[in-house]
Amino acid sequence: MTASPLPEALPTTWLPRSVWSQALRDGRRTLIGWSVGTALVGAMYSSFYPQIGGSMGDLTRSLPDGLKQAFNMEDLGSAAGYLGSTPFGVVIPLLALFHGAATGARAIAGDEESGRLDLLLAHPVGRVRLVLQRYAALVTGSGTIALAVLLMMLAIREPADLGTVSPAEFTAQCLGLALLSAFFGALAVCIGCFAGRRGLVFGTTAAVGVVSYALNSFGPQIGLGWTRHLSAFHYYLGGEPLKHGFQWADDGTMAAACLVLVGLGAWAFRRRDIGL
Amino acid sequence: MTQAIRLEKLAKTYGRRRGLVDLTLDVGHGEVFGYLGPNGAGKSTTIRLLLDLIRPTGGRATVLGLDPRVDSVELHRRTGYLAGDFTVDGRQTVRECLSFLAALRGGIPERRITALADRLGLELAPRIRSLSKGNRQKLGLVQAFVHQPELLILDEPTSGLDPLVQQVFLELVREARADGRTVFMSSHVMSEVQAVADRVAIIREGRLVTVDTVAALRERAVRTVELHFDGTVPAEEFSRLPGVSDVSVEGTRLRCRIAGSPDALVKAAARHTVTGLLCEEPDLEELFFEYYRNGAGHDRVTAA
Ligand SMILES: Nc1ncnc2c1ncn2[C@@H]1O[C@H](COP(=O)(O)OP(=O)(O)OP(=O)(O)O)[C@@H](O)[C@H]1O
Ligand SMILES: [Mg+2]
Repeated sequence: MTASPLPEALPTTWLPRSVWSQALRDGRRTLIGWSVGTALVGAMYSSFYPQIGGSMGDLTRSLPDGLKQAFNMEDLGSAAGYLGSTPFGVVIPLLALFHGAATGARAIAGDEESGRLDLLLAHPVGRVRLVLQRYAALVTGSGTIALAVLLMMLAIREPADLGTVSPAEFTAQCLGLALLSAFFGALAVCIGCFAGRRGLVFGTTAAVGVVSYALNSFGPQIGLGWTRHLSAFHYYLGGEPLKHGFQWADDGTMAAACLVLVGLGAWAFRRRDIGL
Repeated sequence: MTQAIRLEKLAKTYGRRRGLVDLTLDVGHGEVFGYLGPNGAGKSTTIRLLLDLIRPTGGRATVLGLDPRVDSVELHRRTGYLAGDFTVDGRQTVRECLSFLAALRGGIPERRITALADRLGLELAPRIRSLSKGNRQKLGLVQAFVHQPELLILDEPTSGLDPLVQQVFLELVREARADGRTVFMSSHVMSEVQAVADRVAIIREGRLVTVDTVAALRERAVRTVELHFDGTVPAEEFSRLPGVSDVSVEGTRLRCRIAGSPDALVKAAARHTVTGLLCEEPDLEELFFEYYRNGAGHDRVTAA
């Protein structure tokens, strides 16, 4: 045996010490991908504003009111109105939704299905602690993506003629974005805590997300205005943070929903068999 | 002395599928306990019940004096576990994985991790994804043994290991016993367990078939006996003796297989003039085949 006199030097790289930091480290490449991708897609759509913002305003004037309302196109002429339609109304939140669903499905159900959870849960880590730390890593990821989008928006704000939206208003919208992703993440974690099937969890969460989007956009058109209160997208976009700044009531509702979902999940996870 | 593991009528059903049926079993402190059974017998089920990964549908388990359900964190702190299908995130390096798991246990001196990995011939630098099955299993062994737990629960620990590493593993188990620690290990085959185990349990279809010391099992095992006489002997005279089977006579030589006490055989042989006697080592594996096949091995063997 080669017993080196110097104990093998402590690794120079930073090594994770907790379930939270290990989850972040394992998922760092994926998270960088999500952040860069979402920020770039957001920037691309937002930077069309100078070219189509003004003219679209004229173009959409002839469209039926209902349609304009559904797609948030009532006010394409202003920067805030334009940003609230396609970029922050459709593309970016849907990416955030899928980030939450995919990461949340992996956090518990994916690891359970692959058998990896056995090892962690045979260590002195309580089940509730595992759920909370995995979810905390997910929220950290959601925040990182939202921050990347925010930084990108602040960078293109002047060049893309978006100066009428203040940095605070962008921040408010990105906070909502982080909460939206965290909400669907919480939903996925919660379902995963009941049923450890990754495909099922991702599918259900994505379906709930798409239905929520539809409820918020089209519910009012078909006389179901009240249904938008069931939709996470309503709390994300309804208060129009790009125009009116921070919507603390909406943000608080989202955060509370996240806590309830994760709490419910952790409760269920404590009670059931692992790996079935 | 309190028991390290105490199972009382422990039962587990998966929906309508049988997992484990009323298992009652004690494992003492400091004992190396072999847990044998064919595929689907319920070995992994038992082990996962001990660790609170799954919950019993009946009866109870007490491990290190704790109820796994209530004190799982405390129990996990004091045990080392190697799963039957040990899997870890392939994106981590071996070093990263071990240091993370050590951190979950409140930290383990880096030296100790390196020394154990060295002993098993496990490299620390590669990504887990790139490891062969055997090397992955070594990683599983390191994480189970490195914190020197009071109780080791190992599900098929030697699967995928080459004979040299299997030897190292057996050394580790012997050292654990020398330190007064308890080892509970499952296996399909007797040979690897009989080398270290104090006692062995055999289960089949979720039920305990037998539990005994290796020495006692050996006494019960089937062995082949060869007798030489000065003249020919009638085979029928021997084939009806209790415990005797497969009698064949070739000239003055008689071969047969005997389970349990050889008393009747010796007395029958003594009626003739015996010129030679040859008795092979008992084949424990054979005993297990009996148990595995019909589960009635116990009755047949002890009928002698
Ligand atoms: N999650 C599950 N759902 C349904 N049945 C299960 C489940 N896990 C185990 N079983 C059943 O319980 C029985 C015992 O399985 P177990 O995995 O404990 O066997 P084992 O002794 O470990 O077998 P092996 O030697 O193949 O590892 C089997 O019949 C199996 O089909
Ligand atoms: Mg098994």
